[in-house]
Amino acid sequence: MIKVENLKKSFGDNEVLKDINLSIEPQEVVVVIGPSGSGKSTLLRCINLLESITDGHILIEGTDITDKKNDINKMRQEVGMVFQHFNLFPHKTVIQNLMLAPTKVRKVSAEAARNKGIELLRKVGLEEKADAYPSSLSGGQKQRVAIARALAMEPKIMLFDEPTSALDPEVVGEVLEVMKQLAKEGMTMVVVTHEMGFAREVGDRVIFMDGGYIVEENEPKQLFESPQQERTKAFLSKVL
Amino acid sequence: MNFRFDLIAEYAPFFLQGTLLTIGLSLAGILIGTVLGLFIGLGKIVQNKLIAFPFTLYITFFRGTPLLVQIFLVHFGLVPFLFGETNAILAGIVALSLNSAAYIAEIFRAGIQSIDRGQMEAARSLGMSNVQAMRHVILPQAFKRMIPPLGNEFIVLLKDSSLLAVITAPEIMYWGRAMAGQYYKVWEPYLTAAFIYLILTISLTFVLNRLERRLKTD
Ligand SMILES: Nc1ncnc2c1ncn2[C@@H]1O[C@H](COP(=O)(O)OP(=O)(O)OP(=O)(O)O)[C@@H](O)[C@H]1O
Ligand SMILES: [Mg+2]
Repeated sequence: MIKVENLKKSFGDNEVLKDINLSIEPQEVVVVIGPSGSGKSTLLRCINLLESITDGHILIEGTDITDKKNDINKMRQEVGMVFQHFNLFPHKTVIQNLMLAPTKVRKVSAEAARNKGIELLRKVGLEEKADAYPSSLSGGQKQRVAIARALAMEPKIMLFDEPTSALDPEVVGEVLEVMKQLAKEGMTMVVVTHEMGFAREVGDRVIFMDGGYIVEENEPKQLFESPQQERTKAFLSKVL
Repeated sequence: MNFRFDLIAEYAPFFLQGTLLTIGLSLAGILIGTVLGLFIGLGKIVQNKLIAFPFTLYITFFRGTPLLVQIFLVHFGLVPFLFGETNAILAGIVALSLNSAAYIAEIFRAGIQSIDRGQMEAARSLGMSNVQAMRHVILPQAFKRMIPPLGNEFIVLLKDSSLLAVITAPEIMYWGRAMAGQYYKVWEPYLTAAFIYLILTISLTFVLNRLERRLKTD
């Protein structure tokens, strides 16, 4: 589904991703963990082409998205992204947030987009907030709307960059619940998170990144219980 | 001192004409300046330095030189060059528009850049093109923030339009000077002009404050 080959990314002299190779299967849930600054966000942003890559290739369903000939906007439609700080459009209501991209990009009719939007809001448990503005929602509600907004474009892959890090502890659960549901329905997901419980329960594979490399990857149980690399052990001993 | 209200009354119709022209000139200046300014402001923030350069140059020139000099350049240079002869009102509108466009371009640039980067990223991650993201996500939010500084620019422009008296555009200050010349008076004509400008700017401030408050509560 996604294939990352020899990906390198530098910001000026700072090489943030040094040589990333990664393959993600359809319906797989990959959890990315690692210390701050290890390049987790940068990896996701590269997959969504929010950052230009310095070297290497990223293939989504066989199409090289780093190839200049391919339409970036078209590529991005297939990849949904959920951000730490939600990034909802504050000047639009919840339902308008969900309808904007489908109507403008996919040229879906307003009615169809609305119906689909309402259905997605029901799914994330926020149907009654359709006409509310984002500023009136709690953090957990905002993030659920953000997930629904990404789903409205019917992406094939969903990327999550620390979706619960900006949330109050008591609302983390409701967001994770939505993500779990999504995983159960077979969505391909890449999730950067510090929620080790989620990684263990939902993840098919956990990737540990440090210093711009993938240091270790394995099934959650193996990686958490018997890490092979010293750096993984050191990191896990701090967060578990 | 003998303040001659009767002379002011005599000149009142001219001041009224002048007031209408002042309003017309500054309104035209702010409207054309806004359209040009949006274009120039967007031009300045494109990634490509080569494309951005002429826009930056434009802004630097019009903000770095006195409006009076620009008025002369337009009145005696640009307008005759383009139309064969000059016309004070046309030159006035052109000069005010070009000048305000530079300031408004900076207002737009600041407004656009004040919108959180995450907004653009969210829009792009949904597959929107740069233009779609600008149009549906960034600009509507930026416009709201631009209203107070745009209002300020309007007030500045309204006051600065008095400079057009020197190229004989018959706005408020032109009639003030005419009256001063006719009667060898200072206080009557210029205090009248000042008073009219004050009324205009205070009313405008009032309208803008209300608009701002309305937008804040949405
Ligand atoms: N736009 C940028 N310009 C320059 N440097 C950047 C930029 N974005 C990220 N970096 C640098 O890249 C490195 C990796 O950042 P990244 O955000 O990918 O880390 P992360 O693993 O997501 O960390 P965190 O857990 O804190 O979110 C950091 O050193 C950061 O300073
Ligand atoms: Mg990060």
